[in-house]
Amino acid sequence: MGWFNKTKPMDDQSKPPLRSSRKQCWESRDGFFQCLDKISVVNALESKHEDAIQKSCKTEEGKFEEDCATSWIKYFKEKRVVDYKREKFMQEMESKNGQQIDLSGMIRK
Amino acid sequence: MLSRIGVFTALKRSSQIPRVGSRALSVSQGLYNKTNDKIVQTPSTTQTDDAPRRKPLSRIAIGGTSNQSQRNSSGSIEFATWKAAALVLTIGGTLYYFFAKEKRRLEIEKEAEANRGYGKPLVGGPFKLTDFNGNEFTEQNLLGKFSILYFGFSHCPDICPDELDKLSLWLDELKKKGIEIQPIFITCDPARDPPHVLKEYLAEFHPDLIGLTGDYNAVKHACKQYRVYFSTPATLKPGQDYLVDHSIFFYLMDPEGQFIDALGRQYDEKTGVAKIQEHVNAYVPKDQREKRKDKWYSFLFN
Repeated sequence: MGWFNKTKPMDDQSKPPLRSSRKQCWESRDGFFQCLDKISVVNALESKHEDAIQKSCKTEEGKFEEDCATSWIKYFKEKRVVDYKREKFMQEMESKNGQQIDLSGMIRK
Repeated sequence: MLSRIGVFTALKRSSQIPRVGSRALSVSQGLYNKTNDKIVQTPSTTQTDDAPRRKPLSRIAIGGTSNQSQRNSSGSIEFATWKAAALVLTIGGTLYYFFAKEKRRLEIEKEAEANRGYGKPLVGGPFKLTDFNGNEFTEQNLLGKFSILYFGFSHCPDICPDELDKLSLWLDELKKKGIEIQPIFITCDPARDPPHVLKEYLAEFHPDLIGLTGDYNAVKHACKQYRVYFSTPATLKPGQDYLVDHSIFFYLMDPEGQFIDALGRQYDEKTGVAKIQEHVNAYVPKDQREKRKDKWYSFLFN
């Protein structure tokens, strides 16, 4: 299996990832993350969740790891945590009547 | 397009102003003749049809039959004021539209001017890279047209491709509005992005995109000119898979190769187009900017 992982097309460093392969990777990622949502796992990199993931999301994780480049796998897992924290923060701020300030139209002097 | 129609009708209307005005007057005159009543002068009785126009106020019987005539005159006043109000609204609206538009244009121009800076430019400068066809590409290639620069790498997981798709939409939308922009993609990962890889990668985005690469130092230097910072992992084995951290901004450059604005991720498909369009429309070539400084109204631009 280890050999197979190394030769997966997304890890070919001499070619750029193409739109189709990116799309496939993103879909597999979304599938895996949906499964993680079901078992309420945010950080898939934490070892304490390993068993739960193995039990419930084995196929999804396998597909995700097969379709995405190795560096992306870690990146997406980390991004999931960041996105979750951000979402939680925004919700918390909203519940405290926080207001989002749009700075995009500012003119810098 | 819409704004142009607005301007046209506004102009047409303003040329009609005297006629509309006189017509409004003559209509009220007509009404006045019929009822033999006066707009300014208050209540005379309806019986005094052939009475001279300038009847002294003192002759009017207090509390006479003034009710009816008041109603009449108020009717004609209302009619005249309705026209006048429409006129005021039209002129006022037109003026407001022009001033608001001009104010916004000057603001945008000032923003660009501030970003251009004085002396050494804050963002941008000489660089020497190779495009994906193997030709040399320097800052000289930015002259004569608006350019938009983006830094990224082909093995980027999600942000770069999303941003490049967005850029493609911007370019198509701007093209529809008659604005041509030279889109340039500069790799931060020269080790994995030689020209042929860039060519293959960018072919999936927009046909106008030009990919630039070079040796590590040339790329590092170009990035530094644009205040773009990137980091590649320190220990790399050949063929190893890795990610590159880099800043993500679109850099809009004017036809003099000078920096106008950096557009971040907050600009979506629509707002980005609007922002670029504003900058392109507000752009004033350097010789005109210089000339304008000597004019008496130069204070407007400071």
